[in-house]
Amino acid sequence: MKDFLGIRRFFAGLVERNGLAVSLYLTAAVGIWIFLLIILPQLTMFDYSFHHNLPPAKVGGPEDVYTLEHYRYFLRGSGNGSAYNVLDMSVLVRTLVAAIFVTVFDLVICYPVAFMLAKSSSAGRARLMVLALIVPYWINEILRAFAFRILFGSSGVINEFGMAVGLWGSPIDFIREDVALYAGLAYAYILLMIFPLYNAIESLDINQLEAARDMGATRLQVHTKVVIPYAKPGIASGSTMVFMLTAGALAAPEILGGPSNLWFTQIVYQWFNSGGNWPRGSAYAMILLVVCIAFVLLTMRLFKVSIGAIGR
Amino acid sequence: MTRKTGTGLIPGLYLLLFFAYLFGPLIIMVITAFNSSQFPRIRPWECFTTGWFAKLAADDKLLAGIGSSLVIGIGVIAVAIPVGLAAAILLSQVGPRLRSALYTIFIAPILVPGVVIGLSTLIFWGRIAGFLGLSYKSFLYDGTFLTILGQVTFIAAYSMLVFLSRIQRFDPTLTEAALDMGATPTQAFCKVLLPFMAPAIGSATVLAFLASLENYNTTVFTIVSGSTFTTVLASKVRYGLDPSISAVAVIIIGATLVAAILYESWRRDKARRLLPAGRRVPAAPADLWLAPVRRLTHPAFVGAMLAVVVGGSIWAGSRHDSSACEAQIMENKRALQQQFMQQQAPASPPPAATTAPVQAPASSVFAPSNLFSSPAPEPAPAPAQAPANGAFAPSGLAPSSEAPAPAGQQPAPASPFAPSNLAPSQ
Repeated sequence: MKDFLGIRRFFAGLVERNGLAVSLYLTAAVGIWIFLLIILPQLTMFDYSFHHNLPPAKVGGPEDVYTLEHYRYFLRGSGNGSAYNVLDMSVLVRTLVAAIFVTVFDLVICYPVAFMLAKSSSAGRARLMVLALIVPYWINEILRAFAFRILFGSSGVINEFGMAVGLWGSPIDFIREDVALYAGLAYAYILLMIFPLYNAIESLDINQLEAARDMGATRLQVHTKVVIPYAKPGIASGSTMVFMLTAGALAAPEILGGPSNLWFTQIVYQWFNSGGNWPRGSAYAMILLVVCIAFVLLTMRLFKVSIGAIGR
Repeated sequence: MTRKTGTGLIPGLYLLLFFAYLFGPLIIMVITAFNSSQFPRIRPWECFTTGWFAKLAADDKLLAGIGSSLVIGIGVIAVAIPVGLAAAILLSQVGPRLRSALYTIFIAPILVPGVVIGLSTLIFWGRIAGFLGLSYKSFLYDGTFLTILGQVTFIAAYSMLVFLSRIQRFDPTLTEAALDMGATPTQAFCKVLLPFMAPAIGSATVLAFLASLENYNTTVFTIVSGSTFTTVLASKVRYGLDPSISAVAVIIIGATLVAAILYESWRRDKARRLLPAGRRVPAAPADLWLAPVRRLTHPAFVGAMLAVVVGGSIWAGSRHDSSACEAQIMENKRALQQQFMQQQAPASPPPAATTAPVQAPASSVFAPSNLFSSPAPEPAPAPAQAPANGAFAPSGLAPSSEAPAPAGQQPAPASPFAPSNLAPSQ
């Protein structure tokens, strides 16, 4: 009841400020988004993952009971013994490790660019650089992955160059080695790393940098002691986005992934598509979601940043 | 301490490398779209061709995919922009605690894997349809409808971020002034806040459309049995690497560059106009020389130039005919293969001997194997030494009475199998 009164007071405040029509629009639009698009579908999927995979006729019948079968399958596989489902679990671990690797790689290559963009470029040059950063991002994800496929193919430019220079003798299968996949994924999310970093570094007072230099800090110390601690929210924000999107990527692993290496999202898609087992697909999707969120929260706690920093 | 990092040698080199990583793959992809090789690659360069674009224009699946992507994109814009705007306005009006809670919810769809959003949308609306007792023909099972909803889930969050960055610069006293002067709150909203948000609405619309067009992870679930531009593209890529995919990239990159150049010139022009007259730098004598250059950067002129360049290259491209060159490459390959076969079995009687009397040009005998021949042998220059229009050109396949017989004139290793020899020798 108290909550209800609170909501009424909140709505009355909105009406007073915006008028009735606008307030209705605001609350209806946001309400539909939150409930019908964000929360309820997730809850339904969560619920669905505890159901047996039944034909439509049997849904709601006596066999339609809650079960942990799909989560058990993830842990134990189809066997009844004490075996573990090493295959699926190792795919999950490999996906996470690869996503961490891609995130760190992006952070390392984007930090200098973001710093130059924020602190040492003239306005015109910075604008041009921003434009140059955005343009590749407008090109379809599939096409970007395709470009890396061409680049890293056995007769691709990288192999031709490497062999011409004499770095290696016979063509290296970059696709099988997953080099192409990591390069393609890192490429896909560069922009999402640069802009949070840029926003964070941009607001740093340049006098602080000069003060540090005047007091004898080396160039490295300026970064480790002044810039990086200051830009921590931006680093957290960019890293979280890159990590989540990499772990949840589907297109790039399908196109660039080696024939034997699956990405966890591909398993979800297989259960959904060729496997024909939607509840199990939902369970796997839930596992991916929960593990990724838990990992991000843990890492943020480790580095002492608040969740509110993300997206700014 | 005025030394600027980013202008030195090492930072410059680093930037160069970074942008090479950013643009290198795209440039290489663009080049492969013009190589007639069946596999997208730069080397060996066969012929400059525009045939891959023609192949695209004839690809019905892709065209249908573009059509449904347009419909979905418009639907996404129609829903995601009002929702994102409402979310941003609401965030700007609530207290700090509610604000951070709402913000976390709003930002979540960006971070949730697209796979999860797609699957959950599909399941949720399927449940609702089941609950309402609707048949599978109802719109709740329709791929376009589901895709719009699935994409709006996170694209609304993107547009909200765009609106938030704009609304933070809004001066609330403007609304108060309007209210004081007798405007109703609704009027104040429509006449003060909305016009202020207009530029952000424009950029959010573009962003939403692009995000919708290129989305794969969610769409591949929610589109059910249909297809969009991106899913068609993905299945093409998985089915086999084909330079016509590079041709798609050329079109998209071209459109992107044109849009970027136009936008940049429009923005510069606007920035110049907005400079108050008093602060405009008086034209120095040297500046007068620059006046024509200024006119050259006017958006209308830039647009006209771009239209000429784009239209001209499309016109030239559509007239370019690479069939002669491709036929020559084909002939070279065949000659090479025959040379290869000859080396493999020098003692055995030429297999073509029995087929030699056949009246048809020799190409029919070897054509199937040539079309799919692997490019294993290195493209040796030997066959190419023949005169460009010699025996290996299509004209060389004509009855030998008219064709010159270079095989006899030069000690070409492929001579026993050369097309001219296979033709009736009388």
